Amino acid sequence: MALEVLERRPEGRVGREALTIVGRKTLRKDAVAKVTGRELYASDITLPNMLYARVLKSPYPHARVKSIDVSKAVEMGAVVITSQDVPQVLFNPRLVSIPEATYKDWRVLTDRPLFVGEPIAAVAAETEELAQRALEAIKVEYERLPAVFDAIESMKPEAPKLHETIILKDREVKVERNVACRLEIAEGDVEKGFKEADVVIEREFRTNRRYHNQLETKAVVVNLEPGGGVTIWCTTQTIHNTRLLIHEIFGIPMNKINVKKISLGGSFGSSIHTNIIVPIAVALALKAGRPVKLVYTREEDMHDHVSFQMIFRLKLGAKRDGRLVAGQLQAIVDIGAHQIQAYPILGVIAGWWVSLYKLPHVKYEGIAVYTNKVPSCAFRGYGNPQTTWAVETLIDELAEKLGIDPLEFRLMNYVGEGDIFWGQGPTVKTVIRSCGVEELLRRGAELIGWHRRPKPGQQKGRFRRGIGMGRGFHTSSAGSPVPGSVIDYSGAMIKINEDGTIDYITALMDHGGGSLEAIAKIIAEELGVPLENVNIITADTQTTVYDVCTHASRGVYAGGATALKVARQVKQKLLEMAAKILDTYPHALRIRPDPKRGQGVIYVEGIEGKEITIGEVAMTARHKNWGTIAAVDSHRTEAGPPHFTAYFVEVEVDTETGIVKPIRVVAGADIGTVINPDLARGQIHGGFAMGMGMALLEDTPYDPDTGDLVNRGFLVDYKTASAPDMPRLKDFTVFFAETYEPTGPFGAKGLGEGAFNPAAAAIANAIYNAIGVRFYELPITPEKILQALRGGGENV
Amino acid sequence: MEIEFTLNGVRKRVQVEPNELLLNVLREKLYMTGTKYGCGIGECGACTVLLDGEPVLSCLVLAADVDGREVTTIEGLARGEELDEVQKAFVEEGAVQCGFCTPGFIITAKSLLMENPNPSEEEVREYIKGNLCRCTGYMNIVKAILRAAGVIPQTP
Amino acid sequence: MYDINKVNTHIVPVRFTYHSPKTLEEALELLSRYRGEARVLMGGTDLLVKMKMRALEPSHIISLRKVRELDYIEFDDQGVRIGAGTRLRTIEKSEEIRERFPALWEAVRVIGSVQIRNMGTLGGNLCNASPAADTAPPLIVYGAEAVIVGPRGERRVRVEEFFKGPGETVLEPDELLREVFIPYVDDAGSVFLRLTRTSMDIAKISIAVAAWFRDAEITDCRIALGAVAPTPIRIPRAEEFLRGRRISMETLDQAGRIVSEDIKPITDARSTAWYRRAVARVLTRDAFTIAWHRFESRRAG
Repeated sequence: MALEVLERRPEGRVGREALTIVGRKTLRKDAVAKVTGRELYASDITLPNMLYARVLKSPYPHARVKSIDVSKAVEMGAVVITSQDVPQVLFNPRLVSIPEATYKDWRVLTDRPLFVGEPIAAVAAETEELAQRALEAIKVEYERLPAVFDAIESMKPEAPKLHETIILKDREVKVERNVACRLEIAEGDVEKGFKEADVVIEREFRTNRRYHNQLETKAVVVNLEPGGGVTIWCTTQTIHNTRLLIHEIFGIPMNKINVKKISLGGSFGSSIHTNIIVPIAVALALKAGRPVKLVYTREEDMHDHVSFQMIFRLKLGAKRDGRLVAGQLQAIVDIGAHQIQAYPILGVIAGWWVSLYKLPHVKYEGIAVYTNKVPSCAFRGYGNPQTTWAVETLIDELAEKLGIDPLEFRLMNYVGEGDIFWGQGPTVKTVIRSCGVEELLRRGAELIGWHRRPKPGQQKGRFRRGIGMGRGFHTSSAGSPVPGSVIDYSGAMIKINEDGTIDYITALMDHGGGSLEAIAKIIAEELGVPLENVNIITADTQTTVYDVCTHASRGVYAGGATALKVARQVKQKLLEMAAKILDTYPHALRIRPDPKRGQGVIYVEGIEGKEITIGEVAMTARHKNWGTIAAVDSHRTEAGPPHFTAYFVEVEVDTETGIVKPIRVVAGADIGTVINPDLARGQIHGGFAMGMGMALLEDTPYDPDTGDLVNRGFLVDYKTASAPDMPRLKDFTVFFAETYEPTGPFGAKGLGEGAFNPAAAAIANAIYNAIGVRFYELPITPEKILQALRGGGENV
Repeated sequence: MEIEFTLNGVRKRVQVEPNELLLNVLREKLYMTGTKYGCGIGECGACTVLLDGEPVLSCLVLAADVDGREVTTIEGLARGEELDEVQKAFVEEGAVQCGFCTPGFIITAKSLLMENPNPSEEEVREYIKGNLCRCTGYMNIVKAILRAAGVIPQTP
Repeated sequence: MYDINKVNTHIVPVRFTYHSPKTLEEALELLSRYRGEARVLMGGTDLLVKMKMRALEPSHIISLRKVRELDYIEFDDQGVRIGAGTRLRTIEKSEEIRERFPALWEAVRVIGSVQIRNMGTLGGNLCNASPAADTAPPLIVYGAEAVIVGPRGERRVRVEEFFKGPGETVLEPDELLREVFIPYVDDAGSVFLRLTRTSMDIAKISIAVAAWFRDAEITDCRIALGAVAPTPIRIPRAEEFLRGRRISMETLDQAGRIVSEDIKPITDARSTAWYRRAVARVLTRDAFTIAWHRFESRRAG
């Protein structure tokens, strides 16, 4: 196996055993700043003469602003903006898809609010308290309109209409029955397929609407530059798309907009799009002529973004021998009041679905529906965890009906090496070149004791334990051999300083997962320098080339591949100069890190005296006026390979209270070469905690009377796991499969989202194994479990 | 009104309004931004500081009530470039991801170890339950605290 | 009235005059002077949250931080007297409370987080008058009394009668809770249990039981629940039912059924009325089982 992998490595790559930095435990570069409180986040920025802003939010889920009187607020000295003060353009805050796949229905401020919390106006004043008082002094007269809170209800003819027309690229599109967009895909003949099947199961699934609960609420600080420019610090996963959107809305030339890269207190997809507060703050700053800071409170943040809620009707058919033959999926997606990535998500749901198991005949229908709720955006996994939960539940059911071990059933049918992977939907297809699924399943099963697990529903007694598995994957980037409808390329600049240290300059963001840390290691490995010598530069849009976004688990894979490409260009220049100095040939030179000298050393193998440090070369280049040893480039990966994960979870269910406790976890991941082992494990730990929230805890229900969130946005009623709720250290095992991704930097793939995707499914299947009851609606709360165990009756 | 208190060992005299919160005085008047706002209602622990040596939530403390007392924030733990044991362990055990919850966790952990130098894993988990993290699943954080206490060895 | 645009948890969006009396007498004087317009600030973990949410907008805040005479735990021959200004963390750290009033200790220990318990006080937990206040059910079953002081002198009210509704107590606007007195119940088996969504949470439902036994016969008992009615409540009908009966699963189940009938739960963000009734039965059974074991082991040694 090892040999086979080696043979497939592209030319010029070194074997993994020869790597000196990649794969070793190293300390992350930003950790010291973060543990000492010195790391700055957007909400930490303060500028001289700065104003504090607050946003006036719609108290109604659907209304028309009849009149708005801001005079009192202005009298109090506040700067006020309403929909009249902002450019009248419709836009989509997410700019990751090509224009042909981007529907626009947003305004900076609206006079026709479609959800409780939609921004109507904004104020800026000397202090937050003054801004707050000015906000309260604004008088708005609303005409309340009927609202709808359920996607199915919303499609009925009598439902209130949210949008009349929206824009696709440059053309107006009429909205019918609140359907934001639609996508249908069919391959093979699904009717024929189901006829061939011996067993067919069809179920309806309903997922929760989860709130990201990233620790840092949305924040932005805008500074005004002479000549009409703006400098922006904000919570974002993409500084370049933020700049593009501000340019699109305000018409400010792009060279006068500078978006600064700054640490992000978590995001999980909630800042792939430009947060609405960014254009609001820009508009305020432009009107005030002063810097403006706008930081959402937690309750405002919970009224700002949420995951997509899905209602799936899923049907799968299999032969008696265990081969899947056909599948049909209808996905109705509740997108809330506006589109952020409604159309792309319809594509990826199909992609995630058909990439889990081989289905010769498939039919898919995706419908995105408007409701009067907080707009949905990407949330770690981008529809994959929801899809995987439904599929992995049904796969378990099918296996049981067929009398086949669910593990073997999965091994018979999974999409693996050599198969086509749909990555980010129908326009992003890749051939799978590395796959560790079998290793993940076999080893995971052994570690958890899969074959000793109880039979479902056979246990007696109050506390019942069960083991379940969930298998999944995520794409690593939206790269592909052809362009597709998703923009996906990265940029990097690398320069060698005169002392031999390295500056790595990129727009790529690190939300905390350690992508940039991993890339620094890739650069250090390639250039043969100690890791300390690679400096990750705090950059901005003015000093970097375009990078699409840190999302789609692309940081290490695509960002790393780009940095590697540029590092090779730099290395070529470096070796050419070194060859001149050493009187040899570039291709005859090697580089090794020399920790003692704190330098990379260039040398000729076997010949003494023919060596020179990188710093000496760079300094010589300066003195001889050869120029800086540097390169800058963009890169589009040829693939978007899946990284695979598998969760095996043991739970204990208290059948008297319905409380579920995850007590043991075995998680395996195939991420190709593991660049940062402890950070990779950390991604999985965090992924599991989030999966636990999805399976057992999290939702944002609405109160139909107020039209607002039941919890009003307060964290006290949005629960996520605390430290005692997680399994103990000794009960959480993480392992990595031995694979090598030939298209990835040093064989690496992504991890961030695969680390989460199948976790909820594994917990749900474990609950079934413990108590013999399946749940088709998330979260699986104690209330639902107890009701199911008591037969659902009124009798307590 | 004017208050006087000791911040990380240094006497501070600040003009505050009666309704001003310690958190905002630290962040906006004294530019100590290591202490974070996360929820404003005592659910997340990101604003944890030590008040007279005990962890409290600075988002629910009136600055006026801090008059004459002693406050330690995350900025006050390291001695120059030399990190505190807890900080060191967080760095070395991969307990830091986005880092936004980190200062609160470290302050809480510091207080735990001052009270109980040899905590069990259960005790650690219980003590930090008022600090929310959305990145790490708490695993490496628990490990780091146990490691700082010397209860478990450093992860190789 | 809730207004999305008035809520702001970044700041305290209410203007007030701040008072920091050093003695109880001074505090009472201020309370009388600003009768109805003042609020007493103890730990701040409830009051400031309510002010951020604009549920309360007092124009005077009387901080009791400097009133040292409210911070004490004193054991005498009758029982324990706990000053209203005693922080929850202090109570949690008291070995003697843990030993003699285990249900109270168990309730205090799970309130919020270490940070919350460092700030919050016993008096604050009671005066906030949340139906879910964890310290209320144990204090009720222990027969505790609230010692109230005001311009008309001192009065004592059983904790059971202290609450009038969510956020409402028997305190007059010029009165203060000074102390909680708990008589010794060393011969009882007692326990506090609750169910939550996560380990850092407000109770969906809580229960405290104190019970006395002769052999396996329940000679007397008290049952109180939280988060199942507008105030923490006692269930006299279940207590009556159990008195004189031998402890058994059947008996406890029947008592549990009475409890689930007599509570008045609602459906809210934390749970449903149905679930609260269902688990009230289970908790009654569990609580008595533990109380019985504790009674037995106490008798044994």
